[in-house]
Amino acid sequence: MTDQTPLARIEGLSKHFGATVALDNLTLDIAQGEFVTFLGPSGCGKSTTLRILGGFERPTKGRVILDGEDVTNQPPERRNVNMVFQDYALFPHMTVAQNISFGLELKGMGKADIKRRSDEIMSFLELDAYAGRYPVQLSGGQRQRVALARALAPDPALLLLDEPLGALDAKLRGQVQQELKSIQRRTHKTFFFVTHDQEEALTMSDRIVVMNAGRVEQDGTPEELYFRPASRFVAEFIGETNFLSGRVRGVEGDKVVMDWEGTTITGKAPATLPDAGTPVTASVRLEKLGFHDTRPETGNAVQGRVVGKTFLGSRMAMQIAVGDKGDAMLKAYVDAETGQAVGNEPVWIGWEADNMAVLND
Amino acid sequence: MNDRPELFRGNRIFLSCIYWAFVLYVFVPLILMVIMGFKDSNFIGFPIRSWTLEWYTGVFADAEVISTFGYSVAIAVLSTLISVFVGTWIAVLLEGRKFFGRMAMFGLTVLPALVPGIISAIAFRIYARYLGIEPGMGAIIWAHAVHNVPFVVLVVMARLSTLPKSQIEAARDLGADPLISFIRITLPYLVPAILGASIFCLLLSFDDFVRSFFLGGYDPTLPVLIFAKLRSGMSPEINAIATVALVLTAAIGIWAERFTRRMNKDS
Repeated sequence: MTDQTPLARIEGLSKHFGATVALDNLTLDIAQGEFVTFLGPSGCGKSTTLRILGGFERPTKGRVILDGEDVTNQPPERRNVNMVFQDYALFPHMTVAQNISFGLELKGMGKADIKRRSDEIMSFLELDAYAGRYPVQLSGGQRQRVALARALAPDPALLLLDEPLGALDAKLRGQVQQELKSIQRRTHKTFFFVTHDQEEALTMSDRIVVMNAGRVEQDGTPEELYFRPASRFVAEFIGETNFLSGRVRGVEGDKVVMDWEGTTITGKAPATLPDAGTPVTASVRLEKLGFHDTRPETGNAVQGRVVGKTFLGSRMAMQIAVGDKGDAMLKAYVDAETGQAVGNEPVWIGWEADNMAVLND
Repeated sequence: MNDRPELFRGNRIFLSCIYWAFVLYVFVPLILMVIMGFKDSNFIGFPIRSWTLEWYTGVFADAEVISTFGYSVAIAVLSTLISVFVGTWIAVLLEGRKFFGRMAMFGLTVLPALVPGIISAIAFRIYARYLGIEPGMGAIIWAHAVHNVPFVVLVVMARLSTLPKSQIEAARDLGADPLISFIRITLPYLVPAILGASIFCLLLSFDDFVRSFFLGGYDPTLPVLIFAKLRSGMSPEINAIATVALVLTAAIGIWAERFTRRMNKDS
């Protein structure tokens, strides 16, 4: 992209419902061709942002700029933005082809053009065979594709997706995730996806914006969010992790050294450096912990006892009791077959300083 | 069957006896009425010595009965059109945004359905005279239409309340302004309710006696004609007229019930 101006810009957006603050001064740029996911628990403001972008809500404060134009006060029908609704909202009295043509008709396209465009999008999404069917005659996955086709047909600058996979069963969901991502790549469309499912967000997005209580908690690539969470909220929300609560001993370059359960450990420093002596929490992912017979030469290490295990199919989650009194717990993944025995013999657990993120609370 | 609580275990026989007694109570008079229409005699009652279709051929040859029938149908159709238009409009207004006085407006709208027929008929008669409206077709249509509006409002509102909000948002999202989304999405969604309400209004109007009697001019509607004929004595001709009306209205009612049920299932 030579064009550096963002496709959409959200400026100081706030939305209040009575005394509730749904969105608190949100500013964000969305680049052309990006797959952006808004991730967060219900009530975090992600859906409100989506509805403001679609034109279904007006912000209390702030502006929405689309393609250089201020669309904040434009009704939905005048915006070059289309939406895939959570319940798909297919029109029950129209066939698949009629549903898809609806937006084209309202754009004032000629009959021949409508036919060409809707045929094109139907074959693109492999819906040709269902053109004459009504929504009630389709499966959940097919309905989802029709909703997507209907929203893509008018060629919107920005496609909004409101938890469109929520109604599908787990197996189908995985398949549709791949499909959505590939459709987004092939169409070069900008997707604005909203979900509360972290796994969904990680698999599909170029960029994830984690929302919490109407504010952006962290904005970055899936890898950044997973391995370098900026806050305890993000670390907790995305994936499974070990939280290590201790006290700061000092800062060395971009590392924080902290006391934890009678030993000294080192992790990557957060954006705001903590003061020595203050309580602090660090996060290390389960797959980053390794078992050793003797104390590893580099990195962090702690001795503990394996007290339990959970079989997960491809791997095994081990519970390890560590610390002086053995009341701190760590969880680690090991190979499900070779495994690690549960028992009283002490084992060494080690991990690299780079794999542990010290968090700002 | 076992997934339902057996409230009446052991009372089965007793309950079915009550049910069949009820069925007999409702249908025996109707069956008797139908049978008497085939009796070859001027007097209604048993024993029946010989049968005839004469009364029926008489009914279909009777110009007065035929024209009265047409008059009643015309009144039913016209009053229904008015009720459906006004009722749907009010339903859309009341089911839309919440506004101050909405419940009061709803109450005022459905209240007329609870006013006893004779009272509203007299009120209409007085008001019509005051306005200078002549008794006759216009006055009857007016009274029927007003009386039927609440039923339309209730039926259409019930359907409208089940329209997902996302349907309208999707239409708006795809470029439809509020009017176009109403015409292309809301209205088609309401069709089963509007059809059901229409059939109900047609039957109510066709069946109405009190309003038609008080507001009618020289031409009687079918129920008024039957009443007039009764005063000159019971004869099997009345049974024949009544039977034809019964079969027609029952057929329409059953068809409408099945039709709207199917349409509701499809969407």
